[in-house]
This record gives sequence, structure tokens and C-alpha cells, in this order.
Amino acid sequence: MEYVNPEGIREDGRRPLEMRHLHAEIGTVARADGSAVFEMGNTKVIAAVYGPREVQNRSQQLNDQALVRCEYTMPNFSTGDRMRKPKGDRRSTEISLVIRQTMEACILTHLMPRSQIDIFVQVLSADGGTRSACINAATLALADAGIPMRDLVTSCSAGYLNSTPLLDLSYFEDSAGGPDVTVGILPKLDKVTLLQMDARLPIDIFENVVQLATEGCKAVANYIHEVLLENTKQLEYRRGL
Amino acid sequence: MVGLSAGEKHFIQGGIAQDLRADGRKRLTYRPIYVETGVIPQADGSAKVKMGATEVIASVKLDLARPNPSQPGKGKVSLFVSCSATAGPMFEGRGSEELSTELSVALQRCLLGGKSGAGAAFDPSCLSIVDGKLCWDAYIDGLVVSADGNLLDALGAAIKAALTNTRVPVANVPAGASLDEDPDVDLSSQETTRIDTSGVPVIVTLTKVGRHYIVDATSEEESQMSSAVSVSINKERRICGLTKRGGAGLDPSIILDMISVASHVSEQLMNKLDSEIAAAEADEQDI
Repeated sequence: MEYVNPEGIREDGRRPLEMRHLHAEIGTVARADGSAVFEMGNTKVIAAVYGPREVQNRSQQLNDQALVRCEYTMPNFSTGDRMRKPKGDRRSTEISLVIRQTMEACILTHLMPRSQIDIFVQVLSADGGTRSACINAATLALADAGIPMRDLVTSCSAGYLNSTPLLDLSYFEDSAGGPDVTVGILPKLDKVTLLQMDARLPIDIFENVVQLATEGCKAVANYIHEVLLENTKQLEYRRGL
Repeated sequence: MVGLSAGEKHFIQGGIAQDLRADGRKRLTYRPIYVETGVIPQADGSAKVKMGATEVIASVKLDLARPNPSQPGKGKVSLFVSCSATAGPMFEGRGSEELSTELSVALQRCLLGGKSGAGAAFDPSCLSIVDGKLCWDAYIDGLVVSADGNLLDALGAAIKAALTNTRVPVANVPAGASLDEDPDVDLSSQETTRIDTSGVPVIVTLTKVGRHYIVDATSEEESQMSSAVSVSINKERRICGLTKRGGAGLDPSIILDMISVASHVSEQLMNKLDSEIAAAEADEQDI
């Protein structure tokens, strides 16, 4: 099957090194301490952060740091075919774990001992790259909640089809069965905090694809930075500064 | 949700008694309603409705299926609501099951009609493709994204908007094709038909606090309620469904009074919703 046609255009009209359109909004869920909606093309994800607050389950309380919990859910209508079980299936559990570990690494948990931070991520529309969109949305929601972090975490995926490295795979390209590399980085500190891959890749091409995904992450970081700056200006304006 | 102090409770109840609620509204005034359609690209129809801080999303998906043998000329419609954990930590894991079931059943009662299909919000025969052999199954899903009271009204409005936004693909079945196995249905034509939603009712929930009823309660006001009655009313001012919640008993004359108040309020709500939905659809087409 042809995923990149001879002129170098992909199925949705993008070039191989082109990312999908990004759009983010902060503060959409009024009752949450922090919330954000993040869109990468047709993939749309909403994240809400509740915390830091008192630990609900005393047995899980940590005396020297905050407890970070995460739940990822996809409703029935978010994918092309209607799903049977929205919560508790294995893929959701795995992605919840991945997001939790990624965010836990960047939150300064030692500043909030004996407390709990809940991150809830809800996929509204899935078109490939949901993992990355969730991490980006969670970062924005945590920033909106004012939770201290080492750095923003941004994430992007990349693949390799028809001998071409492709940035930001859509569902159509992802389901081709080729390699799918998801990278999460701390942009200012220039460190990788998440790296996942499936299928197989020769090592030299692997380096290229990871490099491409990292560039994608940096582009997302720039966009998130802009969104946060704009939001802060709005807050200042409303305070009359 | 943060608990309320005795002073705050007194303030809420007193305000309602004086027709001046905590956010400045009168007893029978709705919060500003925002409707956006086409929010879920993969769905055949979708809408997002915001009433104050309450935000819900409804989506309609259509699948090819065989119709029920007892109703060969109609498609099947099913409706489920779930509460996202983003609305609050109490909805995490299985915490949302009770509320989701309660909302699903109330909406099914108001919108899907009886077992014979009578009294449904819209005519399911528009979903039929070939009588007795092929039809569209409509799956209506509701998702509560942010909860600040009055979920039932918001979901009813979102489902009405999502149904109006739904485009049913025109399916061409080749003549003479054998329909006992899976036929080759031609969905390539880009034509679509719409569902007639003029008969879809709106749901008005009246919450009784003290001796007065309010419309569109926030979750703080709902915590002070003694009981609530949700009435679903259509354009012809006919009642399509009725649900009473809350432990306190109600005198029958009060219930009749609440129904007539709801009927009066429903007209404004219906007009507001219709104009918001039309505006949202027009916006979506411009894009």
C-alpha cells in the first residue's frame, strides 16, 4: 500500500516531516484545579488535574512526596468503530501507567508530601497519536493547576513507511503495521523521559526516526510555551495589571 | 465537591425564597447556554452543550444492521450516558456507574419511547434502508465532561443538537442482490439525509428547595434540594416523560403545579435551543 505517493505527499496531504495542526485551550473544566484540551489534527483529548489534595486512601500515602495518580479513558464514540468497554481494558491501563510515570518524573513531588495529585485524561476523538496528545494535555493542565514541575513534558510520535521517516502518524498510517516510535522529552533540560516503539527498525534508521520525533516534541514545546504565555497575559489583563 | 457551611446553606435557601439566587438569577432563569455541533469528527452527528460550568458532549453513530423482526420498517436506537473522570475524582474508576445508569435510564424513558416504538423522539423509520432486511442502528452516547448541576437538561439538549447534526448516509443496495447474506451496500455516494428532530422534546428539571422550585440548579443548589422533578416536553406542549428524584415526598397538587411551571418554562428553553442549534449548524457549515 502506498502511504507516501511518488511526489512525497502523505494520505492526508502532509509532507513527511510535517506535523498536524495543533490547537490547545486552557481552563475548560471550571471545577478542576487545572484543565486543558489538546488537539493534534483530528485527535482531541481533554485533561483535568485535581490536586494537590488530601490523600483519599491512607494506606497509599507517601510521607516524603506527593502521590500521583492517572486515569486514561476513551469513550465508545471516539474511534471509528464503536468500542465495547470504555474503562479498564488493558490498553487503557497501560497508557494510564505510562502517563503517570512520565508526569511523575517531572513534577516536584517532594514539595508536596502526604498529598495526592489526580490527572484524568479523556479522549474525545482518536486519530493516531493519542498517547502524545494525552501527555501534552496533561502538561498544560498541570501548568494551569500551578503544580510545580521541573520542566514541561512534550511528546510526539514518528514512524517509517515506504522507506520514509514520517512525523506525527495518523490512525491510518499507524494501522499500517509499520514502526511507531513515541518520544517524550523535557525540552529545556533536553532529556528523554518516555521512549516506546513497536514493530522493528534497523538501528541506524531508528536513530533518525527518534531524532525526528524529538524535533516534533520541540515544536510542540514551542507551541505550548506560546499558549501558556498568552494565558498568563489574559490573567494579568483580568487582574488589571 | 467542597462541603457547605451552615451559613452558606442558609444563604442559598434564603436567596431562593426571595427569587434572587447566589449567582443573581431568578428562580426560573436558565444559565447562558452554548451549543457547538460537529465536535467529534468520527461520529455521524455530535454536539457539545455548556450551561454555566456544566459541559456535556453527545454523539450519534450509525452502523448497518438487521432490523428487529417485530419492527421491520424501523432502525434500532440505543442510548447510553457515561460520566468522565474529568468532571471530578468521584467519577474515577467505577464511581460513575450509579449516576450514569440513572441518567441513561431517565433519558431513555424521555427520548426512546415505549417497547412498541410509540412516543419516540424521532421516527426510527427514517433509519430503515430495506424493509425487514437492512437498517441503520443509531447509537447515541452522552459524556459528561464537567458537572455543575442540571446534567439531565444539558444531556437532553446535547442529544437534540447531535440528532439535528446527524447526517444519515444514503445507502444504495444493488437491485436483485441477495439480502440473506451480507449484501454489497454502496455507501460511496456523498449524499446524506437528515433526521427530523422537530418532535424531540426538551427536558426541564425543577428542583424543590424549601417551598420554591428553581430551574437549572447548580450542584451547590442541588445539594440543598428536597426533591426534583424532571419533565420532558415537546413542541406541542405534551409530556413525553417524567422522573422524580429525591427522598422527600411530594403532595400530588405540588407535582401538578411543577408540571405546569415546567411546561411554561419549556417553551422559552425550546426556542432558545432551536435558535442556538440553528446558529451552531450555520457556523459549522461556514467552516
